[in-house]
Amino acid sequence: MKEIEDFLRENKPQVKKDPTFILETRRRLEQVEGIKSEVDRQRHHGRVALIVALCAGLAIGVVAAALAFFYPVDAQSATEGIVQSIRLFLQNYRQYLLMPIALLAILLGVVLSKKPVQI
Amino acid sequence: MTQERFISQVREQQEPLRRFLLALCNGDAALADDIAQDALVRAYVASGSFLGLSKFSTWLFRIAYNCYIDNCRKAKPEKAPVEEAYNLPGTDTTDKSFRYQQLYQALEKLPEKEKAAIALFYFEDRSIKEISAILDMPAGTVKYQLSMGRNHLKQHIQL
Repeated sequence: MKEIEDFLRENKPQVKKDPTFILETRRRLEQVEGIKSEVDRQRHHGRVALIVALCAGLAIGVVAAALAFFYPVDAQSATEGIVQSIRLFLQNYRQYLLMPIALLAILLGVVLSKKPVQI
Repeated sequence: MTQERFISQVREQQEPLRRFLLALCNGDAALADDIAQDALVRAYVASGSFLGLSKFSTWLFRIAYNCYIDNCRKAKPEKAPVEEAYNLPGTDTTDKSFRYQQLYQALEKLPEKEKAAIALFYFEDRSIKEISAILDMPAGTVKYQLSMGRNHLKQHIQL
C-alpha cells in the first residue's frame, strides 16, 4: 500500500500554466455582473410600475367615490339604458359582426397551429 | 465579496482547483477547465452566502465537486482517449508520460467518490476533515473511500 501512496504523491497531475484562464474567468464574471444589473433594472422598473398602478388606482377610486357621493345617479335606469343600446346595436349590425368573429377564429387557429420558435 | 477580491482569491486557488478537476476528469484538461469556469461563476453568484465558516478553498472545492457531479449527471460525454489526455509539460520524459497515462487509466476505473477522495488526499494534501466538508460525507466514510480507492488503484497500476 505504501508503494501506491508514494506513486500517487510522486505523480500529481500537472496543470499547464494558462494565463487566459483568469482572463476568461474575469470575462464570465463581467457577464454575470451585466445580467445582475439587468435583472436589478427590470426589478426596479417593475416596482415603479406597481407603485404607479397602485397610485393611479387609488386616485381613480377616490375620484369615482367622490363623483358617486356628490353626483348620485339612478343606477338602475342608467344600466337599463346601456343594456338597451347594446341590444339595439346587436340587432342592427349582427350581419357585420359575424365576419370579424369568423376572421378572429381563423387567425386564432393559425396562431395556435404554429410551432413555438426555439430561442 | 467584490469582483476584485474574488478574482484575487481565485488566482491563489486556480492551480489546485484545476488539478483536482483534472484528476476527476481523468486528464481531460479542456473539460476540467470548463467545469472550473462554471464552478467559479457559481461561486461568484453565491459569494454573498459565503459566511467564512470554512476556508474559501474548501467552499470553492465543494462547489467545483458539485459542478463536476452535475456535469456527469447531465450527459455522459464522449470521453477523450486517455492516451491523448495526459497533460504534461513538454520537458517530461517518456517514462513519466507512461506513469501519467497509467494513473489516469486507473483513476477512470474508480467510482467518483473514491476518485475525489484520492485526488484531494494525495494530490491536494487535504486533511480528512477538509475532504469530509468538500465531499459532504462523514470522516469515517472518507477514510473508507480512501482505503477502497487505494485497493482499486493497486489492481490497476503496475508498480
